[in-house]
Amino acid sequence: MRTLRKNWQFHVMLIPAMILLILFSFIPMGGIVMAFQDYKPWLHISGSEWVGLDNFRYLFEREDSMQVIWNTLIIAVLKMIFNLLVPFIFAIMLNEVRKLAVQRTIQTLVYLPHFLSWVILGGILLDLLSTDGFVNQILGSFGVQPIFFLGDNNWFRFTVILTDIWKEFGYNTIVFLAALAGINPSLYEAAEIDGANRWKQTRFITMPSLIPMVVVVGTLALGNVLNAGFDQIFNLYNPLVYQKGDIIDTFVYRTAIQNGEMGFGTAIGLFKSAISMVLILVSYQLAKKWAGYRIF
Amino acid sequence: MKTKKMLPLLGMSVLLASSIAGCSGNNNAAGGNNASGNAANTKAETENAYKDKYDPEVTITTVWGVDPELKFKNGETIENNVSTKWAKEKFGINIKSLWSITDTNGAFGTKLRLAMSSGQEMPDVVTIGTGDATIAQDLIDSGMYREVGTLFDQYASATWKEAMAQDPNVWNQYSRNGKKMGLPVLDYAYNHDYILWIRQDWLDKLNMKAPTTIDELEKVMDAFKNQNPDGLAPDKVIPLSIGFKTSMNTWMGDPSWIFGAYGTLPQQWNVAADGKLEYGSVNAGMKQGLEKLKDWLAKGYIPQEAALWDENKTSEPAVAGTAGIIPGPYWMSGWPLQDTVKNVPDAVWAPINIPAGPDGTVMRHGTQFTNGVTLISTKMKNPEAFFTYENYLYDNFANPQPGSELDNGLFAGYDYELDASGKMVANDQISGGYVNSVRYLLVRDGARIPDAQMKALLNLANGAQPTTRLEKDVAVNYGKGTPAAAKVLLQQEDKSFKNMFTGPTTETMKAKLDYLNKIENQTFNEIIYGKQPLDSFDSFVTTWNAGGGEQITKEVNEWYDSVK
Repeated sequence: MRTLRKNWQFHVMLIPAMILLILFSFIPMGGIVMAFQDYKPWLHISGSEWVGLDNFRYLFEREDSMQVIWNTLIIAVLKMIFNLLVPFIFAIMLNEVRKLAVQRTIQTLVYLPHFLSWVILGGILLDLLSTDGFVNQILGSFGVQPIFFLGDNNWFRFTVILTDIWKEFGYNTIVFLAALAGINPSLYEAAEIDGANRWKQTRFITMPSLIPMVVVVGTLALGNVLNAGFDQIFNLYNPLVYQKGDIIDTFVYRTAIQNGEMGFGTAIGLFKSAISMVLILVSYQLAKKWAGYRIF
Repeated sequence: MKTKKMLPLLGMSVLLASSIAGCSGNNNAAGGNNASGNAANTKAETENAYKDKYDPEVTITTVWGVDPELKFKNGETIENNVSTKWAKEKFGINIKSLWSITDTNGAFGTKLRLAMSSGQEMPDVVTIGTGDATIAQDLIDSGMYREVGTLFDQYASATWKEAMAQDPNVWNQYSRNGKKMGLPVLDYAYNHDYILWIRQDWLDKLNMKAPTTIDELEKVMDAFKNQNPDGLAPDKVIPLSIGFKTSMNTWMGDPSWIFGAYGTLPQQWNVAADGKLEYGSVNAGMKQGLEKLKDWLAKGYIPQEAALWDENKTSEPAVAGTAGIIPGPYWMSGWPLQDTVKNVPDAVWAPINIPAGPDGTVMRHGTQFTNGVTLISTKMKNPEAFFTYENYLYDNFANPQPGSELDNGLFAGYDYELDASGKMVANDQISGGYVNSVRYLLVRDGARIPDAQMKALLNLANGAQPTTRLEKDVAVNYGKGTPAAAKVLLQQEDKSFKNMFTGPTTETMKAKLDYLNKIENQTFNEIIYGKQPLDSFDSFVTTWNAGGGEQITKEVNEWYDSVK
């Protein structure tokens, strides 16, 4: 109570943020009941028919729903792992570049694809990756048979993950570079006096200092484990790769959005949120236990 | 200490929030009930209410989804412009906008849906395009919009009635239990019916004739590929540019006519021999069509990545001059094919008929004569006023004879202008610029008579000079090859088959249709690409029927019987 009296100004400053949170995060949660209704907009939430868990049952009863959920998980998890690993290694390598101008230029260049829309990239990739496209021509000069990257079930996931990493790794690279810049230089000076070479410095100073940032980025990414990237898949997939490429979001788009089945769409949203929350809680506990790092 | 304090507060706010939400929901529902009660009570007989001009003024409320390309001049807006002034002066109709929104990414449909679900005042008259078909169906089911069939019979002018009668099926998708709940917005017929466009210069150099059967088509495609008249290497030529990423039944690069040669059109509902509706993709004729496509893919007659190609992609090789044939609408000689000569100067595209199958069968998928719906609110006090407005447009604007009031266009200085000697000036020379003021009207495109544009094109194709407004319009605004292509299109008029199911989504469709479509697309594509044997078509048909298809067919036929 005494702290409240002393710090009341801070609490006042919190009010606008709380109002926004309540207005845009808590009140809309009331809409979750739509997940249990056969929602009809003109009947409103109060008048729509209750269908219990029917919307959820439909998600799991579809003949292909396990396939779709697996596709989502596999694509999302692989993307998550490589989107940590690649920027991690790349940031350390880039940090070793002595010329600051070169470092900055590379940093900007790898960040650029992040701003391109998948709608545009979809068209570009369709040409680049076609059987007589640029990529296959290069592979062909090494004697590789043309690969049908976007139309072959064995290659589709690989293509999706690789193109996603190419597009997005610059973002995390910048986050890691910022963390690298924050490492106390006296650590390196001390290590040098102790006779540590460059590799040893990287191994025992740089990498451990980056771990907390990796944990933060990784934990936050876990919340997206059921988002395999709608924009990307939607622009790249086709009936030939439904087997390996159809994910929850494309499936929701076709059923819930195109047909206006709001109840079903909400049910899937709720299902995804529940899974994500469990994963975030678990990873948070793990991070606290093993890395001794608390995010919140 | 702090958290203890915060928790109850948080709980309170959540409670408060949910109670507010609950209250507003109840209020809305109650409001809705009251309103419909009132409407029923006050619905007095309005005989002879129809007037050519209303005095005192009547008000029609509406809402607008504004095309982002639509321009305004003289500081006007969609709410207040030459068209609303015209309605006021000419008919004594005051058009009042409740709201308007720039219609990008389906914003109009979303706003309309939100307005409906949040209990806002709904417009008296609203026109909704087929792009927002689900919201139109929802509005009809909501009971906020009234039956219009009797209004139409009572008030519509002869011209409008004749136009509507050209295809009685236009009412089907807006009918409920035999009641007509929405006025279909008529569009020009055959806009999305297909012909084949072929490189006439290649045919001439090879000394070949345009193919009339599938067998002849194969010979032509083989010659295009292996003895290419432009000297292109066989693997650089795409004899027939088609794609099926989105659907086997589409517009540019459409493959459905290949199945049509074997007696079915995929992904639409056709009338079967027994008079019932049948889903085209499960007809036995599909198997032969799939076999052909598989063969053509192996021989390189169609794009190797056809499964990845959407409509626009199929036009790329056509424009680049490496494709020999592309299926598509009759207006393609304008966009995109006119650009071909930039890449290949002597390229000549000619329109030809759809080739026939082994037993002479030809089928192509047809175009609905409607592109949207106009709904009239149960609360509207003077529904006849809307007919005053629209009748005038049908009688004087849709296809006016020379000399009638709107013969030159709708609004002088907006969509047309006459110079001092009374001659029409070119659109780009209108002082202050051309604006498509036809789009300011309550019904999109004002008023269209389905067959009027085709008739105008045929007159031109037969060598007539443009005299009526429509003839002048198509002569100026469409590609030079369009009249001839329209003539080709109409030679196969009786081969055009529309999707016969236009009703609302059925119960089983909601639950099963996406999965059925998915296995259909997957099976067809994998058969064409040789990943599944041809016989898996038969197991697909079994799965389709067992997985809900049989039930859907039943529901579709129940609907069809109800509107027949």
